[in-house]
Amino acid sequence: MEDLGLKIFGAILTTILGFTVGMTYGGIVRKLTARVQNRYGPPFYQNFLDLLKLQVKKTNIAHGFMGHMAPVWIIIAAVTVLLFIPILNGNLWFPNMSFHGDLIFLLYMMVFGSLGMALGAGQSGNPNSAIGVSRGLSQMVGFEIPFVLSLVALMIQYETTSVQELTQIQHETGVWNAISNPFAFLAALFASLGMFRYSPFDIVGAPAELASGPVSEFGGKYLGTMMSGGAIFAFIKLTLYVHLFLGGAGNPDNTGIIATLLGLGVLLIKTFTLYMVPVFYGWINPRYRTEQAIQYFWRWPTALGIIGVIWAVYS
Amino acid sequence: MNIFFLIILIFFSGAILSFIINRIAPKFSGITTFVTIAVVSFLFFTQVEINSITQFSLGGIQMQFGVNNYTYIFAILVLGLSLLASLFSIKYMQDNDRLGYFYSNFILSIAGMVGIIFSRDFISFFIFWEIMTWSSYLIVIYDGARSSRSGLKYMIFSAIGAYAMLTAIVSIKGSYGTFIISEAIENGAFNFTDHIYIPIMLLVGFAVKAALMPLHVWAPNAYSKSPMSFTAIFSGAMSKMGILGMGLVLASVYSHSTDENAFNVLILRQILGWLGGITAVMATIYALIQTDAKKLLAYSSVAQLGYIIVGLSTGTKLGVMAALFLAIIHAVFKGALFMVAGAVERQVGTTDMTKISGLIRKMPFTFFTALVSIIALAGIPPLGGFVGKWMLYEALITESNNYFLVIVIFFSSTAAFMYSYRFLFGLFLGQEEKEIEHVKEAPVTMIIPMVILALILIVTGVYPGILFEPIAQGMQYLGYSDVNWDMSVLVNVWGEESNMAYINLTIGVVFVVIFIFLTLKNLKGTRYVGTKDISTSGEIPTENENLTFQLDFFKPFQRAAAPLYKRSMDKIWNDLGNALEAIFDFTRRIYTGNGQTYALFVIIFLVILLIFKNTLFTN
Repeated sequence: MEDLGLKIFGAILTTILGFTVGMTYGGIVRKLTARVQNRYGPPFYQNFLDLLKLQVKKTNIAHGFMGHMAPVWIIIAAVTVLLFIPILNGNLWFPNMSFHGDLIFLLYMMVFGSLGMALGAGQSGNPNSAIGVSRGLSQMVGFEIPFVLSLVALMIQYETTSVQELTQIQHETGVWNAISNPFAFLAALFASLGMFRYSPFDIVGAPAELASGPVSEFGGKYLGTMMSGGAIFAFIKLTLYVHLFLGGAGNPDNTGIIATLLGLGVLLIKTFTLYMVPVFYGWINPRYRTEQAIQYFWRWPTALGIIGVIWAVYS
Repeated sequence: MNIFFLIILIFFSGAILSFIINRIAPKFSGITTFVTIAVVSFLFFTQVEINSITQFSLGGIQMQFGVNNYTYIFAILVLGLSLLASLFSIKYMQDNDRLGYFYSNFILSIAGMVGIIFSRDFISFFIFWEIMTWSSYLIVIYDGARSSRSGLKYMIFSAIGAYAMLTAIVSIKGSYGTFIISEAIENGAFNFTDHIYIPIMLLVGFAVKAALMPLHVWAPNAYSKSPMSFTAIFSGAMSKMGILGMGLVLASVYSHSTDENAFNVLILRQILGWLGGITAVMATIYALIQTDAKKLLAYSSVAQLGYIIVGLSTGTKLGVMAALFLAIIHAVFKGALFMVAGAVERQVGTTDMTKISGLIRKMPFTFFTALVSIIALAGIPPLGGFVGKWMLYEALITESNNYFLVIVIFFSSTAAFMYSYRFLFGLFLGQEEKEIEHVKEAPVTMIIPMVILALILIVTGVYPGILFEPIAQGMQYLGYSDVNWDMSVLVNVWGEESNMAYINLTIGVVFVVIFIFLTLKNLKGTRYVGTKDISTSGEIPTENENLTFQLDFFKPFQRAAAPLYKRSMDKIWNDLGNALEAIFDFTRRIYTGNGQTYALFVIIFLVILLIFKNTLFTN
């Protein structure tokens, strides 16, 4: 029973960590973007203030049952995926169920939240929301191809489909997967541009065009919950990438407090660096049209992914 | 009386009875059908013993009836789905004419499928196969002139398949001297070494029913033109008869072949796998541009059958298990989805997604079924569809070394999210237009079968082991030893697992917490505003303003994937058909109707004979 209590405590701790880090990163990006555009910009904790404001608002009107369910689905997907990926390789604080669900499961589970959001957006009847969903689904078909190619490359190179195993292998050999299979890493990096939906791939929300797209009919607590879910998802994607390609974080041989904190620090450095890739790319690019975005992913990133798979077969 | 004969007899008398009853009281025709199938299901699941064999001879040919562990899987599928579909059909077909015609063919097609399951020899197999094909053809053309062309296409391809199968059967008798299926397998009829054309001919015959490219072109039209209560069976169960046959042939090829990695076996594996993969991709991208919900589902059926064939083609334990699991799950969710389309058709009068939208509040139960089935179709956890998809991917990655096929399948199933959403959005979400104000929820007898199917999907997501048990036994019959399965843990050969119990527990706990703290409170505190009350940048939409977004829903994707849309198997077949027609037309001109021309032909023939008399009549 004590074990179960510890696990529940750990699950809550993991969720809080993912949420905090995701929100803070979002705030930092807002600040950085403002400075690049020669504005002063909001403080880095602005996202928390926004969330606080949204959560104290009272929701008066509703757009039907799926509208009620959309934020729930997003949070379900976010928390479930978060609990099934390793936060640190070997630790005491964060429970991790990655032995009970592998990469294929994670890939599909990540879609669960988007589906809920799409359904909620659909029921509101706002044409902008529907257009946003149509674009989002189309873009997903675009970036999933290089992403899955890179994952397949990793899986066949190391004959495992578990994230934990892949991290452990990198820890033991001391070689990051980004170096042992650079093509797969590049393909995944390109795919991440679409995943984070910064320019030029911000076609789903598309400010000044779709009036923020799928979320346009949500407000108050619902929007706040969706925002939290989005923040957790950002953390999830970054952590997943770090564990898949950048050697992971944490030391399974030493699970002391100092080592765990050190591991957390490494995780933060790696995820933040990785997060800057789509952000930097976005600063210097205007928005693509949907078909351009899809075709972007089907050209070089897919080619790199295919090379990555061939590399994995013959290495 | 022998139970097998009794079941077939009940079917045939039920078919005649429903035809006669329609003359007296049309209302009871549907009920007769339901009762017939219910009686047969009851008899089958209580009286029939697995592996019992009945011998008899007909016209000097030894024939056998029986059920083995493998065909038992399909018996569950066929009888279960037929029972629900016939219940659904009672109200769905209520106001139609010629119900006697429809229901007698309905029963006959199910009798055909059950007969196929019973058959242990090729002769009765073929006879029942033809009963199934013909009765389903008659239902496809039930609508008369509107569907006669689709019916013709279906019949032509079925005929191609039937002749291929018949050739194979006769060759088996000629080469191995037996009509009994198991004896033929033991004698090595499917060995892929001596008579390589026998398994290939059989596979062609089965591939037509399983809608494998390039023999699939009949499917989208035939599925969407038949009445939906029948399409639920047509796509859900009847296509699985093709899978049944393919599984039997392929498993024998793989397990009886002397060298499993022999060149021709590898080629077969690759060709079938890629055909399945390409079928999946092409059907998916055509599904997502459809505006008719029925047609969308029809294309999606073809795509899903592609996955199943990919699974079978791997020939590995996990792959075949995935294929059989997907076969059952596909029957469940596609049966449910076609019923949803049928319910919408009956209540609204059309399934054209550009004409209707926003049915969610009018038809909540139908929406629930559609939602659950779509989640299963898309393979999103935690429902049964995910289990099948997971096993399929793992089989391809870990066991069959066919890495690029994984990508093809993955592309197809990601694009499947698009048409999945299109289906839900097109029918149930979006603007609530005035035209649908009068719409009511479907009658109870239509809701019950749909909801039962939805519940099956939920249960198989949590406890896929329920289905693994019969599948594992069936696979042992096919020659796979030590088929491991667990109630709710999926394991691949590398030892990684997906534990459905943990997954469902996590999802359930998070759901309950968030639902209590967020939704429950707001469900009461909020009031529903119409779909016109939305953020439109300050403009206020008037009552009659059309805000529906349904046309060209995935236009950008269509533009991006334009090269893919240029290829169409349908067009190639049509061109071939036109070319043949031109040749036949030319041949026809020989018969001018003029006696002088015919006299000329006779003279020309005699002249030719004279010229070549030395070479033709040497001895």
